[in-house]
Amino acid sequence: MVTYDEGANIPSPRPGWLSRVFTTEHKTVGMQFLWLSLASVLVGMALSTVLRVNVSWPTATAPLLNSLGSTADRYAAVRLLHGSLMVFFVLTAAPQMGFGSFLLPLQIGAEEMAFPTFNLLSLWLMSLSLVSVTASFFLPIGLGINVWLIGSALFSIAALLSALNFCVTVIELRTIGMTLPRMPVTVWAWFVNAILSLLIFSVLLAGDTAVLSDRLLGSHFFSAATFVAAQPHNLVRDVSSPVLWQRLFWYFAQAEVYVAMLPCFGIITHLVATFSRKPVWKERLVVLAICGVGLVGFCVWGYHMFATGMNPYAPLVFSVLASSLGVPAAILLASWLATLRNGRIHLTTSLLFSVGFISLFISGGLSGIFLARHDLYRAAVSEDFVIGHFHLVMGVAATFAILAALFFWFPKLYGRRLNERLGKAHFWMTFAGVYLVFMPMHWLGLLTQSSLLSEVQRGAVASASSSIRDVVTLATICTVAAQFLFVWNFFSSLFQPRVPEADNPWQATTLEWSIASPAPRLNFGGVPPEVYRGAYEFNSNTAEGFVTQFAAPKFPVQNER
Amino acid sequence: MPGPTSIQELEPAIVARKDGGGGGDLPPTGGNGGGGDDKNRGRRKPSPNRYYTGVAIGIVAVLMFFMALASAFLVRKGGADWVPVRIPALLWANTMVLVVSSATLEMARKRLGKSDSAGFRRFWLVTTVLGVVFLIGQVAAWRILLREGIYLASNPASSFFYIFTGAHAVHLVGGVAALLFVAKRNFSQAQVTQSVAAEVTSYYWHFMDALWLFLLALLYLGR
Repeated sequence: MVTYDEGANIPSPRPGWLSRVFTTEHKTVGMQFLWLSLASVLVGMALSTVLRVNVSWPTATAPLLNSLGSTADRYAAVRLLHGSLMVFFVLTAAPQMGFGSFLLPLQIGAEEMAFPTFNLLSLWLMSLSLVSVTASFFLPIGLGINVWLIGSALFSIAALLSALNFCVTVIELRTIGMTLPRMPVTVWAWFVNAILSLLIFSVLLAGDTAVLSDRLLGSHFFSAATFVAAQPHNLVRDVSSPVLWQRLFWYFAQAEVYVAMLPCFGIITHLVATFSRKPVWKERLVVLAICGVGLVGFCVWGYHMFATGMNPYAPLVFSVLASSLGVPAAILLASWLATLRNGRIHLTTSLLFSVGFISLFISGGLSGIFLARHDLYRAAVSEDFVIGHFHLVMGVAATFAILAALFFWFPKLYGRRLNERLGKAHFWMTFAGVYLVFMPMHWLGLLTQSSLLSEVQRGAVASASSSIRDVVTLATICTVAAQFLFVWNFFSSLFQPRVPEADNPWQATTLEWSIASPAPRLNFGGVPPEVYRGAYEFNSNTAEGFVTQFAAPKFPVQNER
Repeated sequence: MPGPTSIQELEPAIVARKDGGGGGDLPPTGGNGGGGDDKNRGRRKPSPNRYYTGVAIGIVAVLMFFMALASAFLVRKGGADWVPVRIPALLWANTMVLVVSSATLEMARKRLGKSDSAGFRRFWLVTTVLGVVFLIGQVAAWRILLREGIYLASNPASSFFYIFTGAHAVHLVGGVAALLFVAKRNFSQAQVTQSVAAEVTSYYWHFMDALWLFLLALLYLGR
């Protein structure tokens, strides 16, 4: 279990930008993933503004907008670009590959990932994928879809390589004393998530291969018309829908939600404990819950098929499965709240974003119940409701976790701190903003569809809905504008003169804080660290009130090995 | 390092040492844990475990890829446009070649275990040649089908036939590359020994063999 190799996978430091860009060094690769995400999130946000402006003022003229008005295709293309940038290159890449590549070896006491070349390969395949996905937007529609599919296949390969790397690193490269129960919850989350990614991105890759083959070579995997016509009548509701492709796609895409969320669960658990100065409440149960999310997340793809039609008995099974996700979700929630309760709270920006995540998780989770019940979906499955639900629970919540992580680990990344005052202002504006954007969307979705309303009432709602939509649009513009506060904070902190940062500015307990900030090139200087206890010992009666994982016991025991 | 000050630290520390020592491949070390033994630890050759674990996990991912296609195959074959593909007899010969290659691979590894380097090279070369013969045979089988007018775009059954054989061939090319790598690599400077590299490669190769048997059974029984 304990392995260590000096300089084996670490290339000797060479000068020159080329070797710095194409390094296999895990910290640099992790930061490059984060830069990729930052670029994507800014473009993605701009696109969402364009979409909202188009909804509220269809006649407005601005770059991109003019072409939106002319064809429905362009509108769909902007939505696709917004969605793929955000889901693939922000929500999937940042918490897992970005923070994961940087922090995983540090937190388990390894000098490198198990296969550093795979890490590099994963980064550059993902960059290629970003180029294809973006290029698809500017191409004619038929060619564009092919290029998008190639981009998504490249992303799958990148994610698979990265997942393989994460699994092996966690299994094989833990340092002395880093037993499974002592792993920080972040590491558990990255590990479970890597296993889940490994399984579902293979399926997406298979689906992409088949669709591309259909489109380019004329094969017949998903040519739906003849297939659907041959099925028993009650199996397929909408004859024109390519059900088989949808199944393979949702097999991936439903689990993709958990791929985005799992590392966030780990990060939030970690940060809540650190800033409450308390051990994680029921840490083992939390780890089990994270495993449970991975397992159930893998099995629930069917519930996306309620709206498209499938075997009449299957919805019941998937509905039970989808609802059973509530159990691990409730455990996680209970743990976060119980950890916060009576804690010696340090209300940093990082904790604010964590608590914001918890709030969004509750709101989004409650609206998710409407969608998981196969008998309620008729009321709930309207575009506004679904958009509101998944943006709240997946998009915004995960973004909050990413921001919380960035504020927390920024000293370890760059040896500087983000400005706390700017950060708090940014948090409150964003927090208010996202609720103002997505709550009215829920109401719109429910009210316009509700069967409890009379025809007259529904008409009244429909006529009021355009002003509700305008409120959403205005809130979107304000929220996006507030993000420039963060961008300013990020870059001004990055370029401020470096103050000698204490190695452990947050008084955290895990291994990455045993070394200098920013992390030195050789993580632990060629000497594998030793771990003596669990990751969240905040309740010790020492003078500091906490004990790090790496602090040697006062009375060393004679080594009996 | 800040030292803890509590006597309660003692017990977890003992457990830590036991855990650390139970790692199996750790060399016996002395000293008082603070760092006296760390220098020696750094000089060791890295444990090859990561390669075993890596190939096992890689196999799971590849399996998942083919299972997705296999489930699509089973769903799709209910369609009215399904025209079964007659499997060319050549495929059975190819299958024999692949199965024999797995056997020669094991013989090669046995020679390596007895430090019979020449014998290892001979059988390893035979395995590589058999792998290439299998690939050529698959292409020949495709050509037979093409001559009969069965194309990728002919009907769903033929599409699945070509994608299964094609995807398997692509994965097997990776296996052949690994065989060549093990044969050509100079292992005196490498992180792993030749026997570890040969063993890891053999796992993948046997998996490719078993996967082909599964795919052939699926294509034959699921016509």
